[in-house]
Amino acid sequence: MIVSEKDINEQIKWAQINTDVLRSLENPRKAYWVALFICFAMFSCAVVAEVYQYQVGLGPTNLNNPHMWDMYIATFVFWIGMSHSGTLLSAILHIIHADWRKPIYRFAEAMTTFSLLTAGFFPMIHLGRVWNLYWVLPYVSDRGHWPNFRSPLAWDAFAISTYLSASMLFLFIGMIPDLAICRDNTTGWRKKLYTAISLGWTGNDRQWRTFRKTYLLMACFLIPLAVSVHSIVSSDFAVSIMPGWHITSFPPYFVAGALYSGCAAIITLFVLLRYFFRFEEYMTTAIMEKTAKLTFAIAMVWTYLNLIEFGATWYGHNMYDKELLIAKATGPYAWVFWTMIFCGMVVPFALAVQKFRRHMPTMFVVSLFLNLSMYFERWMIVAPTLSMSHQSHQWDVMWPSIVQWAIVFGSFGWFGILFLIFVKVFPSISMYEVKEMVYHRKREAELEGASAATNKPNLEGAS
Amino acid sequence: MKNYRILGLFNNFEEAFSALHDIRASKVPGVTIDDVTLNSPIEHPEIEEVLGDRPCHLPKFTLAGAMFGLVFGFLFLASAQATFLVQPQGGKPVIPLPSNFVLVYEMIIFFGVWATFFAFLFLSRLFRKRHNLYSEKVSLDQIGVIVELDKSKLDSLKDLFKQHKVLEIREEDIR
Amino acid sequence: MSLSNILNNWSHYRRGAEEGGHHDYEHRWTMAINLDKCIGCNACSVACYSENNLAVVGKAKFDKGQAMHWMRIERYFDESEKEFPDSGASFLPMMCQQCGAATCEPVCPVAATYHTPDGLNAQVYNRCIGSRYCSNNCPFRVRYFNFYSYYESSWPEPLNLQLNPDITVRDKGVMEKCTFCVQRIRVAKDKAKMADRRVIDGEFTTACAQVCPTSAIVFGDTMDKDSQVAKLWKKQQVERVVTKQNKSNSELRGYRIFEELNVDPSVMYMERVRDTEI
Repeated sequence: MIVSEKDINEQIKWAQINTDVLRSLENPRKAYWVALFICFAMFSCAVVAEVYQYQVGLGPTNLNNPHMWDMYIATFVFWIGMSHSGTLLSAILHIIHADWRKPIYRFAEAMTTFSLLTAGFFPMIHLGRVWNLYWVLPYVSDRGHWPNFRSPLAWDAFAISTYLSASMLFLFIGMIPDLAICRDNTTGWRKKLYTAISLGWTGNDRQWRTFRKTYLLMACFLIPLAVSVHSIVSSDFAVSIMPGWHITSFPPYFVAGALYSGCAAIITLFVLLRYFFRFEEYMTTAIMEKTAKLTFAIAMVWTYLNLIEFGATWYGHNMYDKELLIAKATGPYAWVFWTMIFCGMVVPFALAVQKFRRHMPTMFVVSLFLNLSMYFERWMIVAPTLSMSHQSHQWDVMWPSIVQWAIVFGSFGWFGILFLIFVKVFPSISMYEVKEMVYHRKREAELEGASAATNKPNLEGAS
Repeated sequence: MKNYRILGLFNNFEEAFSALHDIRASKVPGVTIDDVTLNSPIEHPEIEEVLGDRPCHLPKFTLAGAMFGLVFGFLFLASAQATFLVQPQGGKPVIPLPSNFVLVYEMIIFFGVWATFFAFLFLSRLFRKRHNLYSEKVSLDQIGVIVELDKSKLDSLKDLFKQHKVLEIREEDIR
Repeated sequence: MSLSNILNNWSHYRRGAEEGGHHDYEHRWTMAINLDKCIGCNACSVACYSENNLAVVGKAKFDKGQAMHWMRIERYFDESEKEFPDSGASFLPMMCQQCGAATCEPVCPVAATYHTPDGLNAQVYNRCIGSRYCSNNCPFRVRYFNFYSYYESSWPEPLNLQLNPDITVRDKGVMEKCTFCVQRIRVAKDKAKMADRRVIDGEFTTACAQVCPTSAIVFGDTMDKDSQVAKLWKKQQVERVVTKQNKSNSELRGYRIFEELNVDPSVMYMERVRDTEI
């Protein structure tokens, strides 16, 4: 049975949209404060662990000579990957005029920005001497020092600052008309805040014209940028000579993985926002279905690239690479490997079933599995290579310690804090774009109705 | 002398546009389409058809920013590397082109994006105080047509608005 | 000024290792290690600990793999299924190979590790921020990271008096590795400069070479054609900046580890000769 349903009810009134979305900014319920408290508690764990690590050194993390990187870098890649779908999907769907993005892009872009703010912590935390972090920046020093522009880590610093500023601006510019709506409908400190950050938007034709151009140009910049950012992150590995890292297909593999985990995270947050803010009218099952189909397609791309990597390693017959691949599948890290394969390659087939796509709790659980797989994927890239590199004398198996776990755990709390604050201060559905969507859908429906009415006699005559 | 500003609020685009068509057709002598500003909650896709082409110079700023990123980026990196001769590393040249390409690519986008943003702030004339005629209903669901005109034309324009089912008319003296 | 610098020296700044690289080398410090002579006594490792102020981390941290032995003796068993004395142990002293095209260098985000005009792979402790990328990209795994501050725990009073005053004690968060005893190289070079002569072969040597009871380790400058190490390299027909050695006599024992990775190591090993066929 095929159920076709509208992405959105086009009869919905513009004023109703304002009311519904602004309702989500009202004073929070008790559950919100509980969630915020939990996130804060999680974040505190990370702060405690980081202070300890700062004082003592990186020893308590269990890192050792072959394992110089571990969960911090894996988590860094995970959060960077998570940041990809928001902005990249929003920009691509904007350019190809897929208007079903409109009700869901705002929170996805916020997710992008906050994931980046979370990811940015990890290269700092993993440093041995974090207090000298600024040496990575290209500033003029009277000692004539520059960072090493050859290092992929220096590329990371450039790429992430570019991506962070671009995606923040994209989020902010897209929000200006909505901030003006908030300004017109609030009082007190909110009114002051929105007046300041809506920058005097009045919605006149000059502003709209410039706005459209700006938004389109930003989207055009963001697509190549997002692809390049994750390619550069993959260069952290691909530029090295280590077996299991020095792989040509890493940049597209990473980009696909980033989109994959990002889409999964969008589904997770979609379900949560829809449930907690009662956004059923806007975040409809039809849009969820489209998102799920997209996720399925990306999952298959990721699966393909993964299999290609295995195949190339197998037939390439490089001794180091091949042994590492066998060790991944059979060695001490095998359970992580097979969980990744199962959750990343088998579970997404649930998305191919319409019944599941339309069932929110199932989608929620599936998306969590997909993200688990993506986290394991990143960890499987970092850890096994280090445990089995060229020099067999230094082979070693290492599991991360509680300090690493605490910081990684806390990063989810930090993301949660930012996201929770965002949804209460900023409209998490784009009001003006949903108005546009409703307006266009209504016009299309009217045109179709009109043409159907005129065509009807002809059709009858033909039959 | 344009010493008056008048705002008419309409229920939907169709009614506002029919009023604008009449202005275009010079139903009110002395008031042209260039005196009109349209305030709306969303951008109508066919707005050029009623307001006429109004130029937007934004892409030029973007291009300038991106070009600056390209030239400045490469020169900055190359001159930094050429003065930091401790850089000979791993048997690679002092100025390595592949990594510089990667960084210049990022810098093109970095400067392009910021140039676009500042051009947006500048060209859309933000950071100005909203004038008294700004109506909060525009951000809700109504279409505002603002016309700057001479006082003598005021009544005939009001009549025109009323023909097209205007919901509310507000005026202000801007001498 | 910078622009004219780039334009005038463009071709020079574009020279990679294959075209001779940026440096006009003053010295090429190299080693030759005869594995047939190595008896696995670990004296080199101990000498390195005392010469270079290496931290003694203790048993627990050693087990976690956080040891700081710049010079380590790797044991391999050719017949591991047999009982101990017959299991065919062979030893490999492993230290930083001072690669000519080192993979650790280009990945450092702050250029803390670089190639010196002496052909050494130098590590600037003060510049290091501890990203540990260099260690990840080292195929020999000979870079050691200060996971803790050891200056109190490793040399309690009065052991601090044994520290070598010529070099520093590193604090937490810094990467370190074998320097070919760069402090001894400096002293020898300064002396030679003051006497207005070249460094004489055998005038000094590294701590590990100095203590080796069987003289398995030979250290010297291959730019000096008459040095012992240069003669050994020549005799074994091992060339630099090549990925595959072209030998007229396949019986020659000299080889460099991971030749195929094109990192151009400065250490030549001479294979062990066994009295039995394995």
